[in-house]
Amino acid sequence: MTGTARFSWKAFWRGTAGVVALMVIWETFARSGIFSAALAPPLASIAISLWRMLLDGTMPQHALYTLGRVVLGIALSCTIAIPLGMLMGRVRAVERFFLPPVSVLMPIPSLAWVPLFILWFGIGNTATILVVIYAATFPMVYNVWTGVRSVNPLWLRAAAAMGANRRALFRKVVLPAALPFVITGLRLSFGRAWIAVVGGELLASPVWGLGKVIFDAKEFLNADVMIAALIVIGAVGLLCERVVFQALEHATVARWGMVAAAKR
Amino acid sequence: MKALKTLGASALWLAAPFVVAAIVWELIARFGSFPPKLFPSLVTVADTFWKLATAGLLWVAAEATLFRLVFGFLLAAVVGVGVGIAMGRYQWAEDVCLPVVSMAYPIPGLAYAPLFVLWFGLGDLPAILLVAVASCFVVIINTWKGVKAVKPIWIRAAESMGARDRQLFRLVILPASLPYILTGLRLGLAQAWRILVAVEMLMSVNRGLGWMIFGAQEFLNTDVMLSSIAVIGFLGVLLEKQVFERLERYTLVRWGMMAA
Repeated sequence: MTGTARFSWKAFWRGTAGVVALMVIWETFARSGIFSAALAPPLASIAISLWRMLLDGTMPQHALYTLGRVVLGIALSCTIAIPLGMLMGRVRAVERFFLPPVSVLMPIPSLAWVPLFILWFGIGNTATILVVIYAATFPMVYNVWTGVRSVNPLWLRAAAAMGANRRALFRKVVLPAALPFVITGLRLSFGRAWIAVVGGELLASPVWGLGKVIFDAKEFLNADVMIAALIVIGAVGLLCERVVFQALEHATVARWGMVAAAKR
Repeated sequence: MKALKTLGASALWLAAPFVVAAIVWELIARFGSFPPKLFPSLVTVADTFWKLATAGLLWVAAEATLFRLVFGFLLAAVVGVGVGIAMGRYQWAEDVCLPVVSMAYPIPGLAYAPLFVLWFGLGDLPAILLVAVASCFVVIINTWKGVKAVKPIWIRAAESMGARDRQLFRLVILPASLPYILTGLRLGLAQAWRILVAVEMLMSVNRGLGWMIFGAQEFLNTDVMLSSIAVIGFLGVLLEKQVFERLERYTLVRWGMMAA
């Protein structure tokens, strides 16, 4: 148990050493001539293309398109998944009807559907967003369903004994109690959607998007652009995970005392 | 008699959603606006599935996919558990590796695919390597957390009873962190599975379920695509039920690390 991670200069320098070591390995690898410079560009040219694409605004625009697809896809999947998960948790017949198809569809990777979606809806946005929806829906359904079922029965009985009707019971007890699971579901959905959107953009080739940058750069052997796009993908993913979701958790469930502030 | 009745009822419940879905599918296929080539009727799909299965094509593809999955995942498991244990045991390893690992973790492995194609060409090698890269980080992180979460009092107790380093590792740390390691392996395998199909599409390997879907797209063979997706779903359920749940039962529950 390390407790709250305290900042230590020793850890900082060692971490820096790790990153620097990685960069040195890359640089020697890039300059060794095993691969030509087009395939394994030195760090400087990666930095230059990243900087150039950030400045002329193409990279931010690609990133915005990718993020927009993820946000739209998750929002649409929530409108399906949250009501379905709640109904599955509360109504026995719904659970019995939907659980078998959900457990059959869940282990099918969303990207397996891409070629089919392309045939049905053409290449471009629709297919990509549908893949995101497919990827995001199942973790959400699963978590909401689990959340609603794991509401403390004591709370339900207490509220019922104090005369709560069905609607009040649902709105005041079940919904807040299930919320930590909903947020976990959202987090998982984002992780899945982030992978799916990159895959979708690689395969379904819409006009804009970070996956599209990588795919186009491959055609012209621009490995520096590919790596620049990889860095942006990682940075945006990390930012969403760390900033958006932790803020969300703090603003909702942690403040309401539903979880022990998520960390020790 | 009653048992038979409940069995029948639950079979009916199990079948009901699939029957409804099949009817809806069939209605769209017959009366919808999609051309039958793109939205084939279930009879056609079943017929194609049967043909592909009897010709052995589906099994060859499934075998190739599973082969890649197993090798990629094994590579990820060995590297991931090794690095994770080192990070959990030695402070310097943690300090050095953690920034690198947490920077690489949020990059979807699939995004490396075109780069790997440029470096290693098309085929099996880059596919296996990519699957390994994509799934090893979650194994590293879980193993590391597991080793860190071993109760210090167990370690001190074992040490005061004169356990040597190796014994400490084998008899205390490994069993105590096993639930986390297994969770990591499970997540890693799931990750590998989700990514493998797309990897096969991008790497144009010479057989495999993902490639079968991708190849069928060229010829508008929607029925072939749906047959491959059905096999993928079947394998996915099989992995979940047979591999993970069994693994959990045999290790954790038997060693009393987790309630049954």
